[in-house]
Amino acid sequence: MAAMNKRTAVPGFAIGCFLFYMLLPIVATYAFSVATRWDRSILPEGLTLDWYKAAFTDQWFIIVFKNSLVLSISTVIASILLIVPTAYWVHLRVPKARPLLDLISTLPFAIPGVVLALGLIRLYARPPLMLARTPVMLVAAYVIFTMPFMYRPVANSLEAVNIRVLTEAAQSLGASWGRTLRQIILPNILPGILSGGLLVFATIFGEFTIATFLVGARYKTFPMQLVYFTRRDGRIASAYSVISFTIAWTTSLVILWIAAWGAKRTSGGGKHPTKGHTTGVVGD
Amino acid sequence: MSYLDLDHLNKAFDGAIAVNNLSLHVEKGEFVSLLGPSGCGKTTTLRMIAGFETPDSGSIHLAGEEITSVPPNRRGMGMVFQSYALFPNMTAWGNVAFGLRVAQKSQKDIKQRVNQLLDLVGLSNAGHKYTNELSGGQQQRVALARALAIEPRVLLLDEPLSALDAVVRVSLRHEIRRIQTALGITTIYVTHDQEEALSISDRVVVMRQAMIEQVGTPEEIYTQPDTHFVATFVGTSNQFPGILKDARSGLVTSVNGDWQISIPPIMDDHMQNGDALIVIVRPEEIRVSQAEIVIEEDNVITAVLETITLLGPVTRLSLSLPGQLIIADIKTVDRGRFVCGTSVQLSFPRRACRVMPGGDITNGDDN
Repeated sequence: MAAMNKRTAVPGFAIGCFLFYMLLPIVATYAFSVATRWDRSILPEGLTLDWYKAAFTDQWFIIVFKNSLVLSISTVIASILLIVPTAYWVHLRVPKARPLLDLISTLPFAIPGVVLALGLIRLYARPPLMLARTPVMLVAAYVIFTMPFMYRPVANSLEAVNIRVLTEAAQSLGASWGRTLRQIILPNILPGILSGGLLVFATIFGEFTIATFLVGARYKTFPMQLVYFTRRDGRIASAYSVISFTIAWTTSLVILWIAAWGAKRTSGGGKHPTKGHTTGVVGD
Repeated sequence: MSYLDLDHLNKAFDGAIAVNNLSLHVEKGEFVSLLGPSGCGKTTTLRMIAGFETPDSGSIHLAGEEITSVPPNRRGMGMVFQSYALFPNMTAWGNVAFGLRVAQKSQKDIKQRVNQLLDLVGLSNAGHKYTNELSGGQQQRVALARALAIEPRVLLLDEPLSALDAVVRVSLRHEIRRIQTALGITTIYVTHDQEEALSISDRVVVMRQAMIEQVGTPEEIYTQPDTHFVATFVGTSNQFPGILKDARSGLVTSVNGDWQISIPPIMDDHMQNGDALIVIVRPEEIRVSQAEIVIEEDNVITAVLETITLLGPVTRLSLSLPGQLIIADIKTVDRGRFVCGTSVQLSFPRRACRVMPGGDITNGDDN
């Protein structure tokens, strides 16, 4: 009995520490956003929704919210259009190039945001591409920055459904490339695309460094306004953070729900061959 | 000119030759199997017919029209894959209907044709099921119905039964042949299973190391193998390496004189007295009797019985001669007469002997 308790106590303690470490900052942020004052006592002195009111009625709120939404959605669309056909083509026609593509897709992890931003400014600040300090350039930079998040789940989906033989089967039945991609490949890798889209959306909505360096105050985003408030009033900044969390989590839930629905629809209620694979990627 | 003509096809991948100067002519309605060990080029040949690979040189004609560089989606070939390749996002019905939708057939035609084909493959009640709700055998039936739906000019099957268990494999291969005969559809069937190729085909093409070794009816391939490879790859063979003593009377002796075998007289000049050769005898041609019985047969050799293996209706006896093992298949009902470790007599007629030159001998499973 004692041995049994010991066996369960150790992992229990480890999990407890992990949850404490992960959740404390979030819980503290939530608590701070509804606290009247919390700098002289252990617990908040009182509760209020004033900081949310201040956040929502701020003249910049709608603008930065819209800007970040536009940036996130544009990046998701651009990266789907760029990465899905590329990954499909490489998996189908040049499988030897896959390790190279895997490497390229992880490069953004190795390059700090500041370096990427400065490099892009230098590159695009001269003719013919006079894109420096425009939102278009920011989206272009974001596509590079989030490439691993989109490429990995899509690549895993492609590997899970034996794309080559499905393509050949569709072609032998007379289907063109476009039809094969639309009716056979896309429906079968949809969970991967949705997972990637979710990761990209959540990452870009909260991105600060690259946005500040590339466009700065010319195109103010939600995280920029959040940072602005951290210098003025941490409680309003906390309210902004909570709104940001809520958006990211809601998006996650909606997209996961769509993915589950899509998987159920495509596999007739049974286990979808790609389902386990792609949702597993969300965490890595 | 035949219905499907492959002329001098060559294909290499990164310098490794996959298909070497292959020519084959298939008549309309014929069922032809490409048989060989893995890596012999049979699948590459099929993929060139389907259009998934382009030959480095040579040409492919279908019904007199050159199709060597026509893309696969305009060839009208139905293909069945080893891994089924059903579309997981569609039901069985949707899979069969796909090619008809691509061809823009009317809803009424599609419905009629899909139902007819699902009925033909015995799955009329499974149309609503998704691929992961079907067994392997059922999935391959759907794949067959899907390939047949487009009324293909040629049906191509790439090891379609390899992933299935033995019982399903045998029943489904009979079904493929039944459907092929009923529809009269020209079929190319790739397999490494010789039993499958022999039982299902009008003609068998035995391939080895990127080349055709022999083309013939299943009976010709089995009873009159042209080469040592065909004799050993198709079915089981006993090999007696020896020296031709007298071509006119057909006398062969072993190198060290342990036995002598009478073969059909060699009338032409392709082998001379003193040449090394191999006498090939199928296990079912060899009779085994107890040592004391007097036998009158062209060839009688004494051997020691090593093992007795029950294979079902036949029992396989393994017998040792000095320096080699011989196998003989007898009826299982007769096996009680034999005891391991005793001396027995092997006998076989001279017409059961096939003779191959004994020079460059390579093993059957060269991969």
